[in-house]
Amino acid sequence: MNAIEITGLTKNFGPKQALAGLDMTVPKGAIYGFLGENGSGKSTTEKILCGLVRESGGSVRIFGKPHTDSDVRSTIGVLIESPGCFPNMSVWENMMLQAANLGCEDAKREVTEVLKLVHMEGSASNKYKNCSLGMKQRIGIAMALLGDPALLVLDEPINGLDADGMRIVREVLVELAANHGVTVLVSSHILGELEKIATHYGIIRGGKMLREMSAAELDASCRTYTTLRTRDQLRAQEILAQQGKRADIDESGALRAFDTTPAEVAAWLYAQNLLVGEIAGAKISLEEYYTDLMKEGR
Amino acid sequence: MGSTRAKRQIRSMLAVDFRRMFRTPFFYLVIGICFVMPILILVMTTMMDGTVSVNPQTGAETVIEGFDNVWQIIGSVSTAQTDAAAGMDMSITAMCNVNMLYFLIAVPVCVFVAGDFRSGYAKNLFTVRAGRTDYVVSKTIVCTLAAMLMLLAFFIGSVIGGKIAGLPFEMVGFGSLNLVFCLLCKLVLAAVFVPIYLIMSVCAKQRLWLSILLSMMTGMFLFMMIPMLSPLNATIAQFGLCLAGGVLLSVGLGLVSRAILRKRSIL
Repeated sequence: MNAIEITGLTKNFGPKQALAGLDMTVPKGAIYGFLGENGSGKSTTEKILCGLVRESGGSVRIFGKPHTDSDVRSTIGVLIESPGCFPNMSVWENMMLQAANLGCEDAKREVTEVLKLVHMEGSASNKYKNCSLGMKQRIGIAMALLGDPALLVLDEPINGLDADGMRIVREVLVELAANHGVTVLVSSHILGELEKIATHYGIIRGGKMLREMSAAELDASCRTYTTLRTRDQLRAQEILAQQGKRADIDESGALRAFDTTPAEVAAWLYAQNLLVGEIAGAKISLEEYYTDLMKEGR
Repeated sequence: MGSTRAKRQIRSMLAVDFRRMFRTPFFYLVIGICFVMPILILVMTTMMDGTVSVNPQTGAETVIEGFDNVWQIIGSVSTAQTDAAAGMDMSITAMCNVNMLYFLIAVPVCVFVAGDFRSGYAKNLFTVRAGRTDYVVSKTIVCTLAAMLMLLAFFIGSVIGGKIAGLPFEMVGFGSLNLVFCLLCKLVLAAVFVPIYLIMSVCAKQRLWLSILLSMMTGMFLFMMIPMLSPLNATIAQFGLCLAGGVLLSVGLGLVSRAILRKRSIL
């Protein structure tokens, strides 16, 4: 069974169509990286999923049940936009309020555990309004983890976090997905971080799913290339073109030759008496793949 | 099993709302205002009683009339007085009484509900809870209780203010039991106003100014009925009427609030 199944989802805000028939499938236990430009419909999809915004059409099912089902809703942990805390209350009090909303049996223990998980146990008595942006994000994640959720919906969870904070969040998410079977839907603009943990990706544009794939599929579809520097990059480009290989020069001035290996490139250039200064094999990152995909559609 | 879960949910919701309403300094500030207000009104109007003010342009003289009796600030007995309180006469005694508190009730209710939406607490809540009933029930109960405490604070303040001002506590045309029923009627009437303000608040969501504005505008329409339904010579029958009306309207208007929350997006 899939954790999330969305079919033909539409949402109109007055004359503006935010979602135009979105189809999306998130397998159970996956860490699903949800990507898209600003205004592409990511947050709207997440809000609909959490019952905060009413859809105009289409179907949303979570663990096989409609997303409006009470049983299903109690299994969702959410961090959308901000953690949703009262500024004048302490971190602990805010956490206890959410634990009470969830009907946690042993609220104190659960709150202590999740705060420890995000390394916030020492700041429990701090007033929420006095917490830094990074601390607030961690509190939001801790809050989302209350009540042992089976599905986590996180919108930009690593925004404002320092390197250590990012690592902690990454570890927590991987641990939850790998050892507790928790499904994580996470949207982020920090693609480098997402690439480290995501098992599946969905790329959305204009309210429609552009591409949906597993990390393995992305890996296979990402073209390898050879990056090199010579004394005459333009001549090197010509030599590669003669071999039927596409090559371009990136912003740093390095030549990128596609669908070939460093050994082949070095041999062709050597045969034409062109010496190679630097040469290395590389692979298109998620960020590059995403950027290329976005460019293609324009 | 479903009812056990519903009970648990409503209990936890009530626990959260009680904690939030009755542990905030703002609520005690409002209670303090409700307590001090009648003291100031009674003392100042007694001091100014009989003072003649002259309009320099028209030369018209106005005699400021204070309260003759402490209970006048709580209610009125005769039909004439009821009419006056209903707004036919703009005297101080008709305007500055406990009934104006029904407007003030809108403030804590709107602040309380708008706080849910502003902080993002409503977002957290409605993500994990599909049902809106427990939210509306809990808010209605807690806000009604808060409104009742405000009315009680006003009543206590009136007694103390009367003592300070040296006003008589005579009961003319009504007895102690009538006074108790009058007070009970007024307390129960809070259950009519709170659900109305709750509807306005869930419509306005995080826009506090709008919810207060809408609430006060709506409260104005019902303001006239308060002196008629809760006179100083109220009987058990009037109390029964107010109680039945309060319960029915709470349920009915609560259903409206729930429908609004279900039909509209939270964010």
